[in-house]
Amino acid sequence: MHKEILTTKSLSIGYEGGGKNQKRLFSGLNLACRKGEIIGLIGRNGSGKSTLLKTLAGIIEPLDGNIFINDLSIKGFKRRELARQVSFVSTEVPVIPNLSVSELVSLGRYPHTDWTGRLSPEDIKQVNISIDQVDVGYLSGKPIAEISDGERQRAMIARALAQDTRIMILDEPTAFLDLPNKYEILRLLNHLAAKKGKAILFSTHDLGIAFHEADKIWLFLDENIITGAPEDLILNKKFFKLFDNSSLTFDLVKGEIRPERSFTGKLGVSGEGILKLWTVRALERIGIEAVDKDQELNLSIDDIDGELLWRLNDYKTELIFHSIYELCLHLKTIIN
Amino acid sequence: MNSKKTILIFILLIFLLVLLFLADLLTGPVHIPLKEFFHMLSGKDAVSDINRTILVAFRLPKAITALMAGAALSVSGLQMQTIFRNPLAGPYVLGISSGAGLGVALVVLGFGSVFSGHEISYLGNWVQIMAAWTGSALVLFIILLVSVKVKDIMTILILGILFGSAASAIISILQYFSQQTMLKAFVIWSMGNLGSLSVRQLYVLIPCILAGLLMSMIQVKQLNLFLLGETYAKSMGMNIRISRILVFISTSILAGSITAFCGPIGFIGIAVPHVVRLILNTANHRILIPGTILTGAIVLLGSDIISTIPGRDVILPVNSVTALMGIPVVIWLIVKNRRLSSLN
Repeated sequence: MHKEILTTKSLSIGYEGGGKNQKRLFSGLNLACRKGEIIGLIGRNGSGKSTLLKTLAGIIEPLDGNIFINDLSIKGFKRRELARQVSFVSTEVPVIPNLSVSELVSLGRYPHTDWTGRLSPEDIKQVNISIDQVDVGYLSGKPIAEISDGERQRAMIARALAQDTRIMILDEPTAFLDLPNKYEILRLLNHLAAKKGKAILFSTHDLGIAFHEADKIWLFLDENIITGAPEDLILNKKFFKLFDNSSLTFDLVKGEIRPERSFTGKLGVSGEGILKLWTVRALERIGIEAVDKDQELNLSIDDIDGELLWRLNDYKTELIFHSIYELCLHLKTIIN
Repeated sequence: MNSKKTILIFILLIFLLVLLFLADLLTGPVHIPLKEFFHMLSGKDAVSDINRTILVAFRLPKAITALMAGAALSVSGLQMQTIFRNPLAGPYVLGISSGAGLGVALVVLGFGSVFSGHEISYLGNWVQIMAAWTGSALVLFIILLVSVKVKDIMTILILGILFGSAASAIISILQYFSQQTMLKAFVIWSMGNLGSLSVRQLYVLIPCILAGLLMSMIQVKQLNLFLLGETYAKSMGMNIRISRILVFISTSILAGSITAFCGPIGFIGIAVPHVVRLILNTANHRILIPGTILTGAIVLLGSDIISTIPGRDVILPVNSVTALMGIPVVIWLIVKNRRLSSLN
């Protein structure tokens, strides 16, 4: 088992400000992150994920308590020493005209270069390795203002990699990205943790992605932060606390989050596997509960040589629909 | 951008600078024949005493002042645009020119009733210069005090603008109660003038500007990191407060000294850095600062040549020329980029 690289002891976080302005978000935090581990921070908006990440990265001062890297308190670190241990990617992705991807990544060498900022051959090597690791080599000469959001996020991660730190902290690295890009970024982080032994902390609102890709979750609830493997948090039901006071439920079997429904009608549904599954989802959306057949109104779904048919039946007449959309249009006129 | 093209652009800029410097020496109300001019350059004595005096005592200091002022104002504008991450920031956003203006106004308008206009001009413009310097130093001091306490850079920007407005308000009051002759003296100062410096004053100005430019060049590494914003800069181990203060001091020395000696000269500081980014196509201050020094000097020398209106004996206020040249550049940049926020 890997050693704990980043730990906190009785850490209090929040915003400074004289007297009454001080806002304490959490106190007495004892958290730990191991080498090669990827940890996802999950919580509602304003729950303090960013504040914790910024505190761990040394950007915000802790209100109380201490942070240790390899059992050494970061209070004893000089700025540059800390910057060689911890890198940070914020939610802010700067768009600077005339700054190329390789120039951006080179900025990550700041804590390693002398006062002139000139890059040594070693620095240049590290920059190139970082660019290759996130697969943006083909973009290195391009201005960062002219590449896509996903590519820019990769470039920002490459910049953090160039900083050559053992701990990487990322605040919502998948925000504003499309689904394939979100997974790409997470796969990249996973690779960096597993293959390069980096300790990676990231916050996200994409629960599905965090649950698939993180070794451990730090779950931000009102009073404290609960940690564990994603599956542990589901099995011990802690995860559900995230949806208190909201209209969402977590489907334990399907592993998906969905809005709680209230139904205004019933429909007997018969059909096979996937066809039935997706039809039921559509019915639930328009407020119709799917139950077993032999109701006043019944629906049977058939696949006749690849042609899909939805037959709606009330013992007297039968209506045939060729798509779920048509079916729902009709059902909406009945229930209203 | 490949380095060959960059070197080529720099050679071109240096060539242009030398050309405009010589052209600036040649232009003025008095016509000096080209032949005589080159004789003087090559050290021959076949030059009339009057022309020699005009060249050495008037035009040479003026051309050197234009060169210094162009470089200084443009570099301080670049620094302010980088540190505030705002394309419309310039050398005067911190209220430096208003501070200088207040100093001058206090001397010229406030004490104008004590001294006569004649006495003030007798004291030489040193009094005026010291007043302007004190004014801008005072604003700098307040800004530094604020930036030690205040973390947010935008708060500092807004406070700078407010200090400037407060200074302008006091100037207005002084103007309202002052005599006509004093008012004119102040208005003339506020129009900017490159030609009022004596050789002795240049000995003071040049070291100040060189010191300011040196400070800026030492900060290249920090300025580059400021591009990403302060959160990133801090996460990479930069001491934000110290770097910010050093940049402010450098800007104040540059813009404050020029304003003290020449009066406020607008738009050079805002427009030139944008032009330089465009022609050099980089965000790296290691290249941008030398490029800005050269381009700033070129532009102000050019403005000075235009302001003397070759062939006529009228001289326009240089401030009007730089504004009329700078504003179209800024408008063009805005229209071209549509979104102003993407300019920096």
